[in-house]
Amino acid sequence: MTRNSHLQAAPNGVSAADTDVLRRLAAGDRDAVAELYDRHAARVLGLAYRIVRNSGDAEDVVQEVFSQAWRTAGNYEPSRGSVAGWLLMMARTRAIDRLRARQSRPQVDAAPDLDRLPADTASMSDRLIANQQASHVRTAMLALPAEQKVALELAYFEGLTQSEIAERLDIPLGTAKTRIRAALASLRRSVRP
Amino acid sequence: MTMDRHADIAGRLDAYVLGQLSAQQAGEVEAHLHVCDVCTSEVRELNAALEAVADSVPPLLPSTSLRERVLAAVAQIPQDAPPVARATDNRAPRRSWMPLVALAAAAVVLLVVGIVAFRVDQSRRELLERVARYATQTDLALSILTAGDMREIPLAGREGAASTAARAYVSPTRGLLVVADRLPAPPPGRAYQVWVIEGTTPVSAGMLGEEPGGRGMLIVTPPKAGMGSNVTVAVTDEPPGGRPAPSGTIRLAGSI
Repeated sequence: MTRNSHLQAAPNGVSAADTDVLRRLAAGDRDAVAELYDRHAARVLGLAYRIVRNSGDAEDVVQEVFSQAWRTAGNYEPSRGSVAGWLLMMARTRAIDRLRARQSRPQVDAAPDLDRLPADTASMSDRLIANQQASHVRTAMLALPAEQKVALELAYFEGLTQSEIAERLDIPLGTAKTRIRAALASLRRSVRP
Repeated sequence: MTMDRHADIAGRLDAYVLGQLSAQQAGEVEAHLHVCDVCTSEVRELNAALEAVADSVPPLLPSTSLRERVLAAVAQIPQDAPPVARATDNRAPRRSWMPLVALAAAAVVLLVVGIVAFRVDQSRRELLERVARYATQTDLALSILTAGDMREIPLAGREGAASTAARAYVSPTRGLLVVADRLPAPPPGRAYQVWVIEGTTPVSAGMLGEEPGGRGMLIVTPPKAGMGSNVTVAVTDEPPGGRPAPSGTIRLAGSI
């Protein structure tokens, strides 16, 4: 098990360091890719794994995300969100694509592939640092009413449409929409400066 | 932009940031965002909320080998040029540079048609105005888009490509233009092939050229079959070079 001591969790919201890295990335500075990776790979991998539940696929998603970030750095629009959010959005999209492609094939092994993930105690302090920065957010998620949280998680982590969520939860479509909207409204309040 | 239109779009922003809209609906939202600061601000807050959802997942430390793998992969990948800058810098082609010009034309068409079509404006008129600025490199695309008999077919993302925004522009006299944005890479050893279906027999229109950034494009003169009043355009994944008849999974499809 190896450990990347230079890995650090990036804070939420606008980050001057991120903006600078993206500017260099867009200018063709390949060294900026390593910097961007070191700042965000842990979050991207965590999210990808949460969605695909397979470490091989999750690592492939990480590679795809940073490759896409390198290729399309010039397309990043700061007005739409943070660099971290941009990367995580790419990770979510690609992970859900993989999830759907896998679900369309005969299921070979749906069991989590935890043994391939870094899990030794050396990484624990880094994880705690990262977790601490996200703790208020996690608190907000935990504070959501269970029915809202479930609906939002189905939308976000499984990529289900509103209709699919309504069907999965056996609730009216309007109720599914309302729950997701209410959940997002609560989270928006929690992330406002 | 009317207030009704604004309210209509604003009501869809939740579904937009969650990727739950159809390609056409997402395109409408994208176009609106370019002219509405209020909705752009809403999207920024919603994206921050979604980032919070992502942050509810514990980060996982990647191995050093993954870092090396990612950086090695990136070292082999050319970077997309900034959309506007590259398009603006294009000059009229010289014959001895035709291969490069062809690539540039493809890039320009992708940038102008692909990005503009999905991000700036859904109106045919404004799209034409944009494309016309780079007419030297986009003659065929322009001839299709300007054709009096041109019809526009939104292509819905299917299995594995649900978030893809794609359209076909069909002119029975000029040809077929297919553009796709946010197109996932095809499965290993596969490539995207475009089909035109009139009646019951799919006819290959060619392979969808993959471009960086999850974009794809195909411009062809009119296929021998199809292009009549009832046309379906579909994209499947097939072996490299394509097949005479579709055999793979349908990724995009639309009909008129």
